[in-house]
Amino acid sequence: MDVQEATAEGAASAENGEVKRDGKKQFSMGPQDVLEGKLIYDGSVHADGRLEGEVRVTGNIDVANGAQVKALLEGSNVTLKGNVEGMVTARDKLTLGRNARLSGDIQVRRLQIDDGATLNGNVRMGDFEQQASGQ
Amino acid sequence: MSSRRPASRQPTAVPEEHATNGQRNSISLGPNDRLVGELYIEGDLRVSGTVEGNLEATGDIEIAGGGKVNGDVTAYNRLTVDSDASLIAGDVRVARLTVADGATFSGKVSMGKPAKKAPERTAAPAPEPVPEPVVEPVAVAVEPAPEPAAVAAAEPVAVNRAKTARPAPAKKSFQKGKRR
Repeated sequence: MDVQEATAEGAASAENGEVKRDGKKQFSMGPQDVLEGKLIYDGSVHADGRLEGEVRVTGNIDVANGAQVKALLEGSNVTLKGNVEGMVTARDKLTLGRNARLSGDIQVRRLQIDDGATLNGNVRMGDFEQQASGQ
Repeated sequence: MSSRRPASRQPTAVPEEHATNGQRNSISLGPNDRLVGELYIEGDLRVSGTVEGNLEATGDIEIAGGGKVNGDVTAYNRLTVDSDASLIAGDVRVARLTVADGATFSGKVSMGKPAKKAPERTAAPAPEPVPEPVVEPVAVAVEPAPEPAAVAAAEPVAVNRAKTARPAPAKKSFQKGKRR
């Protein structure tokens, strides 16, 4: 888990959209890229451009400033700086940056909302495994 | 980290419509303070203690230190939840929201336009009580009227016929007997 957190930040130089950092995979989108559909990925995702559908990753999800996302997002650490519509699950921490706009229900263990962010939705906080098994 | 900072008591920009004595109204609940019930304040609120109930402020609300709030929160301007603070709410309606890492926060968050619920409640009171008093006096006035009329009409007719029928044959028999 420590290794995954270490790979979260940093602009990855794209090689076919996939870059390895410290042995962990990262799927990286550029501002002109479009992804529609379902992505289940053993690694981290840097989302930019337009993303629609569903993204479930074992690592972190990072939505760039200016990105347009209509998707279900699930990851360890989720950092939003762009426009997101859909349910978000962060097994560890969800961060809404100052330019983030999120409309959708969120389920998190930890939550940080920076001043300037916009949130519309239901917030559930607690131990992730207990809430998931309870449903 | 001092538990009381003067920042929230000295708002930088004070709109004149909120100002009373040149300063915006402000309430501060300390770490040992407790509020059970509902609070509306035209101004700012800072909670370091415990609140069980709904809060509404026209200015800012800050849940600071070890403050705990259990109830709906409406802040016309800004809600801040510090890292050691806790907000367990049903509805959170704010214009701006800041949640520090480590804070406990749950509830339904609505940011932006706050005037959605108002027009729904004004519609359709029930129009039923109007026809009820109209129907009742008509039924009462009609029902007793035919009963005494029928009784009064039937009885005198029967009596008159009986009285007139009896003397008529007697007169005829007397007249017949006298003539023959």
